Order: sequence, then structure tokens, then C-alpha cells
Amino acid sequence: MLAALEHATGGLWPYLVVVLIGFLPTEIWRVIGVFAGRNLDESSDLMIWVRLVAAALVAGVVAKLLLSPSGALAVVPLWGRVGALAAGGLGYWLMRRSVLGGLVLGEAVLISVGLMYA
Amino acid sequence: MNAETVSRQFWSSFVAGVGRAAGLPSLVLMASLIGVGGLTRDIGYPMFAGVLSTILIWAGPAQVLLFGSIAAGASMPAIAIAVSLSSIRFFPMVVSIVPLLRAPDVGICKLLLGAHFVAVTSWTEGRRLLPGLPVTERFPFFIGFASMVMAAASFATGVGYYLIGALPAALAAALLFTTPMFFTLSLVAGSRTPADWAALILGFSLAPLSTFVVGQDFDLLVVGLIGGSAAYVLHRTLRKS
Repeated sequence: MLAALEHATGGLWPYLVVVLIGFLPTEIWRVIGVFAGRNLDESSDLMIWVRLVAAALVAGVVAKLLLSPSGALAVVPLWGRVGALAAGGLGYWLMRRSVLGGLVLGEAVLISVGLMYA
Repeated sequence: MNAETVSRQFWSSFVAGVGRAAGLPSLVLMASLIGVGGLTRDIGYPMFAGVLSTILIWAGPAQVLLFGSIAAGASMPAIAIAVSLSSIRFFPMVVSIVPLLRAPDVGICKLLLGAHFVAVTSWTEGRRLLPGLPVTERFPFFIGFASMVMAAASFATGVGYYLIGALPAALAAALLFTTPMFFTLSLVAGSRTPADWAALILGFSLAPLSTFVVGQDFDLLVVGLIGGSAAYVLHRTLRKS
């Protein structure tokens, strides 16, 4: 069915996906936020659960991007990808909780390993 | 006040917001979105689909979920639910920033526009900076700030798309690596409680297992619901004891 849909919409398919599968499911919560009452407890149990589910979702997709990468990242072997991620985490702590610092160190390790294999 | 004065005031506050956003906030957004551009190219989508996702979705994790899940072969309804679950956080975020943006000349349409610009960076900076401004300057300042970071992020998305094809293999790999690295670090930076850490570790470790057990269509949804709920149970247990 998906193939038929893609064919029927031609080159517009990616934009439809962005709007229908990406934009609408996200924007709905912003719109509800504007119309909702003002006294919403951000530290309520429901909101804590929502935050934890969102964190697990993002961690899950990060793991999938790292463990079964498509395209250019697949050039670097698994140990290199996981090692670079660990190095980035280490860099974050060593550089006093600096996200950009950790990003730079992780990238440096990944590029070094990549140069050995590419 | 005549219309010209009002308009001049609007633009001076707008430009003040742009100035606040130029620099570190824009750089951070660029670092997080450049990989999304590469990811867009990786799944065979056109460049403008990636840029459009930055402008319309305006949520890095949701964009990564969208394109990353397409790369992993998930089904469209499952992706829509995962994206929506990851974006529920905007609901309390918007609720808490609307009172700061409200002003006599800020009606529902302007509030909806302001709400669209709400994402992690604009929200944290908005909550920090807006209370110190006169009520009439808040909305233009916020729109200026958010437009600047969004423009920088859209530019980075487009640049990432073309870079991935032009760079040598090791650097192209590094470009795609930006996304998992950046989002892991921002999850780590945002983790305060044991439950936060549990959600992070469970999400990461359950992902390969879930693909194996559930299959690639709904695996992420299962990871989010089981990992997040287990972390929530931990949160409840720790609070009671």
C-alpha cells in the first residue's frame, strides 16, 4: 500500500510525510497548550511519565542509528561507533558538563577510526 | 501612539531578540540539525523536505525519530505515534510560556505563532529572559529570538544535506554521527534523577532486543512505552521509600 501511495503522490511524498507524520503529531500539542488552562502542574505524575517515555524513545532511536546505521556511518565499524559515543560522554564529564566539548571529542574519535577504514 | 511608533518598537524588540540568539544558541541548534540534513539525504528524501521538517516540526528529537524510523523501516502509523509521544512535552512548555507572551495586542493568532516557535532552546531562554522585559516587548523579542535560531538551524539542515555527499567517507560518517552523539549528550545533560538515567539506559539497551522480538514496524514504540514506564515505576518506588 505504501508503495502505491508513494507512486500516486509522486515527488510530493516526502513533503506529505513531513507534514502528516511529523508536523501534525507535534503541532497538536503546541495548539492544545495555547488553549489549555493556565494551571497545569508540570511536575504531575502524568507529565513525569510523559517525559520518561520521550527520553526512552529518543535513546532508542539513537541506539538504532548507532547499531544498525544506513549509508555513510556504516563505514565505521561497530566498536568505533560505540567507542566514539563513550569518548563523547567522557569528554562531556571531563570538560565540566559541556555538550559541545563532548560532541567535539566524540567526533574526533569517530573521524580517527573512520580514517583507518575508509 | 501612532502606527509608525508601534512598528518601530516591534522591530527594535525583534532585533534585540535576534541579537540574543546569534552566537551560542544558534550554534547549538546548528550542531543538532546538521546531522538531520545528512539523515534526510541518507533516506533519499529531497533537501527541502529536511529544511521543511526543521521549520514545521521544529523539534530535533521528533525529526530524528521521523527520519531515523524511516531509515529503520518502521510503519508510518507507528512513527506518527512515536513522534507525537515525544512531542507531548510541548504541551506543558507552551502552557507555561503563554502567560509571558500575553499582551493587549497579542491575540490568539500571535499566540499560536509564538507556540509554534517553542522548542527546548527558545523555551529555556524565553523563560529566563522574558520576565525582565516590558510586557509589550516580549512577543516581538521572542519571535526575533526564535526566528534567528530557526533560520540558523534550517541553514544547517540544508548544508548537512549537501555536505554528506561532498565529504570524504570518514567526514561523511562524522556528519551522520552528530545526531546520535548530540542527542545522547543532551539526554545525559537533562538527566537529574535515577528515573531519568533508567529511561536513558533502558531505551538504549532495549532497542536492539525490541527489533528482534517485535520487528522493525513497532519496536521503537515498544521501547518508549516499556522503557519509560519502567523508569516511571522506579520513580514511584524511590519516592515511597
